[in-house]
Order: sequence, then C-alpha cells, then structure tokens
Amino acid sequence: MTALTYSGVAFAYPGGAPVLDGVDLRVEQGDVLLVVGSSGSGKSTLLRAANGLVPHSTGGRFSGDVVVGGRSTRLHLPRQLADVVGFVHQDPEAHFVTDQVEADLAFGLENLGVDPATMRRRIEEVLDALDIARLRHRSPASLSGGERQRCAIAGALVVGPSVLVLDEPTSQLDPQGAEDVLGAVARLNADLGTTVLLAEHRLERAAPVAHAAVLLEAGRVASAGSPADVLADYPGAATVTRLGRLLGWQPPPLTVREAQRHARREDRAGWPEPAARSASGGDPLVSCTGVRVELGGSVVLRDVALTVREGEVVALLGRNGAGKTTLLRALAGVISVGRGSVHRAGPVAYVPQDPNALLFAPTVRRELEQTLRLIGRPDAHQVDHWLRALRLEDLAHRHPRTLSGGERQRVAVAAVAVGGAAVLLLDETTRGMDAPSRQALETAIAEHARAGGAVVLATHDVELAARAASRVVVLGDGDVVASGPAREVLAGSLFAPQVLRVLPPFLTLEEVASAAVLRS
Amino acid sequence: MDARQPLHALTWLVWALAAAASVQLAPNPLYVALVLAISAAVVATNALDSPLAKGFPLLVGLGLTFALVRVVLTVATTHGVGDVLFSLPSARLPQILGGFTVGGTVEVPVLLQSASEGLVIVGVLAAFAAFNAVVSHHELVRSAPAAFFELGLVLTVSLAFVPVTLQAIGAVREADKARTGGRIVRRGRLVRQAVPLLETGMERAVSLAESMDSRGFGHQAPTRHEAVGGWLGVGALLSLAGTFLALVGGAPPVSAALLVALGAGLFAAAVALTSAGRRRVRYRPRHLVLTDWLVLSAAIAAPATLAMLSVLHDDTLRWSVSPLALPSVSAPAVVALLALALPAFLRPPNGVAPR
Repeated sequence: MTALTYSGVAFAYPGGAPVLDGVDLRVEQGDVLLVVGSSGSGKSTLLRAANGLVPHSTGGRFSGDVVVGGRSTRLHLPRQLADVVGFVHQDPEAHFVTDQVEADLAFGLENLGVDPATMRRRIEEVLDALDIARLRHRSPASLSGGERQRCAIAGALVVGPSVLVLDEPTSQLDPQGAEDVLGAVARLNADLGTTVLLAEHRLERAAPVAHAAVLLEAGRVASAGSPADVLADYPGAATVTRLGRLLGWQPPPLTVREAQRHARREDRAGWPEPAARSASGGDPLVSCTGVRVELGGSVVLRDVALTVREGEVVALLGRNGAGKTTLLRALAGVISVGRGSVHRAGPVAYVPQDPNALLFAPTVRRELEQTLRLIGRPDAHQVDHWLRALRLEDLAHRHPRTLSGGERQRVAVAAVAVGGAAVLLLDETTRGMDAPSRQALETAIAEHARAGGAVVLATHDVELAARAASRVVVLGDGDVVASGPAREVLAGSLFAPQVLRVLPPFLTLEEVASAAVLRS
Repeated sequence: MDARQPLHALTWLVWALAAAASVQLAPNPLYVALVLAISAAVVATNALDSPLAKGFPLLVGLGLTFALVRVVLTVATTHGVGDVLFSLPSARLPQILGGFTVGGTVEVPVLLQSASEGLVIVGVLAAFAAFNAVVSHHELVRSAPAAFFELGLVLTVSLAFVPVTLQAIGAVREADKARTGGRIVRRGRLVRQAVPLLETGMERAVSLAESMDSRGFGHQAPTRHEAVGGWLGVGALLSLAGTFLALVGGAPPVSAALLVALGAGLFAAAVALTSAGRRRVRYRPRHLVLTDWLVLSAAIAAPATLAMLSVLHDDTLRWSVSPLALPSVSAPAVVALLALALPAFLRPPNGVAPR
C-alpha cells in the first residue's frame, strides 16, 4: 500500500530556477525512505511538500500533486493534514511551543480535539516509544540535542500520523545523540510499522535503517531503489560504501560489518604500508600550559597543555562537554583562563559553532571586507584569496542568509580567516555540512597548513580527523587523555574511522587508493 | 494528590493580587516592608527552576529605581509645605513646561511622604515579581478561560523564546569578539550584533510558525463567538493593565475603580461568549486541592481584614508625616499580613518546587 505519492511535482520560487522538477515518488506503507543529495538539491523542499508546507507556507509556483493518506496537499493546508503527516523540523529549537515536554506533546492532540482519555493514553505511549518518560516534566531548553530531537519526534508521532517526515534530524547532533535518534526511528519502524521519509547527510547510521533510497540532483530524481544501489555511486555516501566502490566490492557495503566481510576475501598481498604523515611541525604558533578553566561553578578544563606548531592540523576529539569548545576559546583569548598560561606567537582566529551568530553583511564579499575594516587592514587580495580557497567565488554576491547551512559555515570561516591569523580554530565547522562543502573546507585547511599556518579542529567526526589531521588530541572530562599522530591515537579506539576498522592500518580512502595502485 | 505538588497558578494569581491590594490598603512603610519580606520568603521557598524565575531581584530593582526617580522628581518640584532640610540652586521652568520651580528647598515631609509612596510602588511590584517567579506561566495560560487561549498561547510561545534568545545574545557577542581576534571594536557594534540576532530570531519564528502549522494549530476554524470573545478578552486585559498602571502611578482611585469595573465587565462577557461555543479539550487539567484552598482563603483574608480595620479607623494603616511621628503598628494588621506568608511555610525552606 502506498502511504505517500508525489506525481509530477515541480516547484519554483517566483523568478527563480526550479527547486523541484517533475518528481514522481511513492513511499510504501511501513518503509523508511531515505532522501539523499547535496545542499540545494531540493531535499528539504521535497519533504516540506509532504504536508503542504510547500507551497502553502512558502508561496511560489507549484504543479503536480502530492497525496498523503488519501488527501491532496493542493486542497488541504498543513494544519488540516496534521493527523496524517508528522513533520519534524531540522532545528529542534523551532519545534517546541511550551516549556514542558509533556505539555508540548499534548499540543498536537489538543489542536485536533482528541478526547482527554485517548490523549492521556497516547502521550504515555509515545513517552515509552521514544524512551523519554523520565524527561516528561523537564523544559526542552534544558535537554541535550539528542533528547530534544527525540521529544520533537514524539510530538509528531503522538497524533498517530500515517507518515513521519524527518528533515535531517541528526545534522545538529553529536554522534551519541544522532545514534539515539536514528535508533529510535529504526525501532519505531520495526515495532510499530511507522512509515518514515528521512533526509540525511550523515549516512553511516542512516543508510542501514532505510529500506529504499532516492538521490536528488538539481530537483530531479537521479536514481531510486535499494539504499545500496542508490548510494553506490553517490559521492556523499558513507566511507565504507566509497571504500567498496574503490575496491569493486559487490554489492556495495553500507555498514562496517558488511565491509569487513568483503575485506576478509580481499587479497592484500603486496600492498605497501601507508606512508607516515609528517607529524612534526615548525615553530610553535600558540601554546598553553597548566590551563584550568571554571565556568558556572564547574571545572571545564583542568591542567591542559597543548602546543600547536606551524604546518600542523590538530583534531580535537571528545564527547559533548569534554571541554573542546572551552579550550578553543581559551586559546583564542575569547575567555580568560583561571590558572595557567596561554602564549600566542601571533593573532589567533576563532570560528564559533553557529555561523548565524557572526553573519550580518548583505553579501558574502562584504562580510569578508567588514572583518578587514574592523581590524583596520583593508586588503582586497586577502578577500579574493579566501573566497577562492573556500570556493565561495560564485556565492560572493549572495546574501549569507540565503545560503545553505554548509555554505554559511564556509562564509563564517572565510570571514574570520580573512583577518590573516596564522592559527585558525574551527569549532565543529563541518557539522551538518554536505560532501562538497566539506571537501572545499578540507582543501582550504590543508592549504593553510602547507602555507605555514596551523589549524585546530574541534570535531565529533573521526572520519574528518582521519583525513585532515596530522595530530589528534582527545579530551575527556577536561583532561587531555590521548595525543599523537592520527593513526596511533585512533587505532585502538572504539570510535576508529571506518577505513581503519575495515583495512587496518589504512586510515583514509586516499591511502587505500594509492596502495591499491602501487600493487598493480 | 502529592503534597509536594506546586500550588495552582490560579492560587498564585489570587495571592499576588491580595498582596498588592494589601499594600494599597496599608501603605504604612512598616507594613509594606513586611509584605516585601514575605514576598522574598515566598520566592526563596517556592521559586521554580526556570530562567524567568530568576527575574525577582531584577523586577524589585526596577521598582526601586522607579521609586527613587519619583522621589527625586517630587522633592525637586514640591515646595513650601514644611521644614527645610537643605536648599539647592533652583530654576523656574518656562510656562509651557508647567512653570514650576525645579530645585530649591528640599523639605522633610515631602521627602518622607514621597519615599513612603515610592515604597508602596516597590511593594506592588514585588508582589508581581514574586508571582512571576513562583507561577508556571504555562499552567497559568492553560487555566485561563477559553477566551484567552490564543492570547495565552502567544504569551507561552514568546516566553519559551526567552532562554533561547539569551543564549543567542551570548553567542553573538562572542562571535563579534572572535572576529577581531579578541579585540573589542566599538564602532558599529550595535549593527554587527543586532542584525544576526534579529535575523536568527526571524528565521526561528518562521520555523516555529511552520512547526505549529504542521502540528495542527488552527485545525478547527474559530467560530464567530470565539472570535468576538477573543477581542473582548483583549479589551479586558488592556483595562486591567490600565488599572495596574493607575494604581502604581498614583492616579485618583476613581479612575482605577472605573477601569477595574470595565475590565471585569469585558472579562465576564468574553468568558460567557466563548463558553457558549464549543469546548476546547484540555490535557490533564489540574484542579485546586486542599492546600490551594487554604492559601487562597488566607490570601483573601489579608486584604479583607485590612479593609475592615480601615473602616474601624485603625490609624496605623497610613503613616502621617505632618505632624511627624514614627510609624506604628497594630497587632491585628500584622496578623492579617502574615496570612500572606502561608505559602512560605507550606514547603521546606530549601525545597525547589518540582516541575
């Protein structure tokens, strides 16, 4: 049975290029359909069309038809479809209408006029289904990202919709939160048969959950079918999938387990060992010793020492609350340290987590020029250099707020880096980025380090650390618990990058590729 | 019912109104100070763990500032009624600005009278600041009559935005500092910080509206009764807010009484109209329990007793500055005011109310 049907759906903003262009799609009852594609491919628009937010809330030219639960979105407003489509926004902040989880769950039911006895039962049920019963009296503002997103899903699920639409539900979360959310989605689907339409960038976890996948390119369905088939050629696929593509494994693996099965059959005789990365840098650019920081009465960093040298890319790993951001802020001088000392050889630039807190100029180029004006050193050459380095030339005249999340992140990096600091401190800058944006950023980081600068990346992404870092530092509860070359630190870890888990001691696809070439 | 359950929002509303009324009925500074102390004790024992609850000192401080400004203005413009404390240089304002003398003699009765009136303002504000700290705003909105449902929802949603916005302000400030490598550039800072804040706020608001739409807000179109009832409700709230301003601003009691009557009339009409229509389903409505009724009766007893004492010519309720005498107290009035402190005794002193 079909839960949701798109037939010939096209959509464009007035005077703009088509965002969706002739999309035909069926979501079968009980399936998890994964929607992939780079930023700007129309994923969000496709999802928002499922309950009529497109076009009823956005305006624009809409043609074709979307039918959900037997009702057409042409004839029904989103609020009239609330009982058949549960929609969860990308930003969990935007979901909550009250200051208490339980009361928020009741919001949808009260709107639909469900009788109080049923209301009571449904709420108890979703509290259990998403394992959030212990959060019922809490305020959403006090929850972690993963908890908040699960509460948001519960709020959509509570009315008993036939389709649950999740727009990048894990893009703003740390790995633990992402795992909790996707685990909950998988469980709902397996136990209750909930139909799910899911858009994701992070495919390591999402792909194994899905029954079918669609790849969108420029508003068209480029391919549709089983997740393995659709992701086989997708550049943004999980690292194991791309590894399988590189080594010609069929069918392409979606999980580490599947890849390990292929790897056992792979004949690796004659593969050279991967070349060691030059770990030692030049002169120290920024260093700290014995740094202790207390924030709001609790110790965030205790006795931390770190030296960042010319030419280094340091990845700072650790769970939420381990002190990564605080260490960056201390190195940058944005906060003062309680004890210990920070020594800077020159200016240090810090890019905060949320690019929206930074961007205020009417165009991307002006954004960069503003920074130079603020520090009193107008230099058009630097502006051009960073626009090129982060591949923002084509976006230079766009308003930063009209860009995608990943593009905004790049603009924020450029706007801070343009000041000419040798050391760049990036706080979770790749969070929620699609593959092209991430690649552009990684290239810029490598170039900056080669040119004698240094970069410190606070990140949850071990794949990024494996590709980009010359050194990995792991923080735990305010201490440095491990520090050294990426291969050594990540090798013994439970959170090792996927290539290392499948083909040790190889760390990245590039290493595997060059080894495979050398052998033949 | 769990004994540790927080008091009902309506109980707190009545408590706050009773405390404010008591301050009006007994403006003797000693009595007002007692109400201030009671408010602080109630906040200390019953405050909720929400960002808004931390606003008590801020609101009381606001009242103090307002009272001080009022004292300064009164002292500087009222002359020739009593003993001179000291003299300041004076200037006569032009006729168009009222033509009175600013500065000049500072007189004892004027100073004391205005200070005591100022304290009344602080007392009224403290009662409402305490109310803000102890009440669950969400429950308050939910227990409002159906006529106020939409308006109340707007309020709760905006209250839910407060902590998020505070966080955003911190983030924007830090981002601005990070951009210049830790150096603070004052020129144009307002624009650099306000624009990201406003734009992020706008984006959030749009997302929230979409989210509410997706969750079926307005699924059932309002009936004509509800629409009219809603407007009457807005009118009622405006009149009642006007009453509050009239009381604080020291307008003649007649205008306050008229506004109260108007507000109550509109309120009754709104409630009657809306209740005549369809009933809105509520999730787990809370009812008043025994503790609520106890606090309610004690709170109402306070201003009622004070009003009775006033009829019986209890001279201690008001303090006269000419002829100057120390303010005095009477036992019945103190007992009446202490009834307001009941909520502070109903919970353990260090107990933070469970949410």
